[in-house]
Amino acid sequence: MDDLRVPIGSFFVILGVMLLIAWFFVSTSAPLASPSVNLWCGLAMLLFGVIMLLLARRGKAS
Amino acid sequence: MKPGIIDYIILATYFLYVLGIGWLVKRRVKTGVEFLTSGHSIPVWVTSLAFIATNLGAQEVIGMVASGAKYGMLTCNFYWLGAVPGMIILGVFMMPFYYGSRARSAPEYLKLRFDEKTRGFNAITFAIMTIFSSGISMYALGLLFQLVLGWSFTNSVLLSAAIVLVYTYLGGLTSAIYNEVLQFFLIVLGFAPLAIMSVMKAGGWAGVTARTTAWMARQPAFAGNPDVMTHTWRYMGHASSNLMGVEWFGMVFGLGWVLGCSYWCCNFLVVQRAMAANSMSASRLTPLIASIPKMVMPVVVIAPGLAAIALQQMNVPGILIPKGNTYNYNLVLTNLMAQFYPSGLLGVGLTALFASFMSGMAGNVTAFNTVFTYDIYQSYIRKHATDAHYFKVGRITTVVGVLLSIGAAYWAAQSNNIMDFLQLVFGFVNAPLFATFLLGMFWKRTTGHGAFSGLLVGEIVATLTLGLTRAEGTGGWFGVVHTFPSAMAQNFWIAILAFASCFLFTVLVSVVTRPKPVAELENLVYGYTQIPTEAHLPWYKRPGPLAVIVGIACILFNIWFW
Repeated sequence: MDDLRVPIGSFFVILGVMLLIAWFFVSTSAPLASPSVNLWCGLAMLLFGVIMLLLARRGKAS
Repeated sequence: MKPGIIDYIILATYFLYVLGIGWLVKRRVKTGVEFLTSGHSIPVWVTSLAFIATNLGAQEVIGMVASGAKYGMLTCNFYWLGAVPGMIILGVFMMPFYYGSRARSAPEYLKLRFDEKTRGFNAITFAIMTIFSSGISMYALGLLFQLVLGWSFTNSVLLSAAIVLVYTYLGGLTSAIYNEVLQFFLIVLGFAPLAIMSVMKAGGWAGVTARTTAWMARQPAFAGNPDVMTHTWRYMGHASSNLMGVEWFGMVFGLGWVLGCSYWCCNFLVVQRAMAANSMSASRLTPLIASIPKMVMPVVVIAPGLAAIALQQMNVPGILIPKGNTYNYNLVLTNLMAQFYPSGLLGVGLTALFASFMSGMAGNVTAFNTVFTYDIYQSYIRKHATDAHYFKVGRITTVVGVLLSIGAAYWAAQSNNIMDFLQLVFGFVNAPLFATFLLGMFWKRTTGHGAFSGLLVGEIVATLTLGLTRAEGTGGWFGVVHTFPSAMAQNFWIAILAFASCFLFTVLVSVVTRPKPVAELENLVYGYTQIPTEAHLPWYKRPGPLAVIVGIACILFNIWFW
């Protein structure tokens, strides 16, 4: 394996997408949770994953 | 807590990734040295994150949330006093000798610097400790998942053990380190939403402060200083005026100097991560870079504990569960998750818990591997075999180590007292080591006989102190000479006495025994070690300036929450 950022980035992209799916399709909620918590956390993880993948790509180019 | 199908999919995805990383690393690991020590090949950002992830086991996460609820901001002393200074000392002062000596393990450094008996003593106690630590980690996982999710104890233990076994068997230390980085991000990103949501629900930091103060005002002992939960140092003057029952001297010297430094500078579990870095300067930067996320970790693990008390004050049900005449603080983290995490995020939280259990286990297994193969097998069983032979032994040791840990987990399940006792003993068994390494690295006159007898005396003094003092019902089997206000104070003072007696005895015996010839001290002792000059590097890649910045930041944190 050349670059650890690739598996980490792709893992969090998948996790983010799953949370967005959960936000959109699954209507369960926790007693104190706000309804959009899966949306925000999903977006944050997606963003983190994409940044990791971009860093890996830049590292490869140089 | 009732996870849905999406939560199980998230957990399964994580397991696939962990095993996948192990499988990808396997192709790169071709020799025994690479398997057991990573062959000095890992970039510094990876070793730094792995360095704290090894320590970020589940007992740490669950325990720190629990301590946050029990002691409040005082818990930050475990970070800003008990961790960051030790990490700075390792990076600035000690790493050059670990790395420069080319030792493959901490016990091997003791062999090179002192003699075989000192190494043997350290290697054997360390090997036993790692097995039990890994077993206790597994036991805690099984117990938690049984209690929270209703899973069977055996299934949780075997599942986590099997996954750890597969990825450490495939890729050895490199695989464990790479997975620790993934685990680090997962733990931080998985628990940060909990900290944010619980503190927001409790009315922000102002709400947390006001509500914990109202909570403490109800307790007669703290009616005079009800804001005790939101300060780190203000009430450390006397043991009775703070929640830990420790005074500042025991805290600074017991936790900060002895326990903190002996853990971060001498415990091979963490030092191994820095030793795997790809250059001397990378190995010195590892603990220094790691101390930056370590310093802000209280936001993720202590804030939810404090918020839990505030929520209890607001009469939110299901967070603090009564247990006897106190509360079951160890369930605070999972109770908060049940309240705040809907299906989806709940899967991430559970996965983060699994990840933290596995990083704790894998760290112990890989450290056990290296120490057993090089410091026990190669030293006492078969001396001059090929690398391929030790590679095979390392792999078999991985399997045996995991099996022994499972055994230890079931043994702990048989008797709860045994586990408490072991955790108590592990708390101070390392304490004298810091004196041994400190003298070994910085005083060329220290001899092997001095080091060995100092260590032995340190351990005996620790055991005697525990046997002769009492605190919260522990210790005092040989009669009670002194009673400590809390078990924490007892633990800190045992460490102080163990360190002091080891230091004193090592010096006394060294003075009357024959020192090692100076020619044999090259790369092992201060003054006889070539430390590569870093003047050509930019300041942020040099240990000195980085240590100063990290140190100042740490002092500012202490002042901020004084």
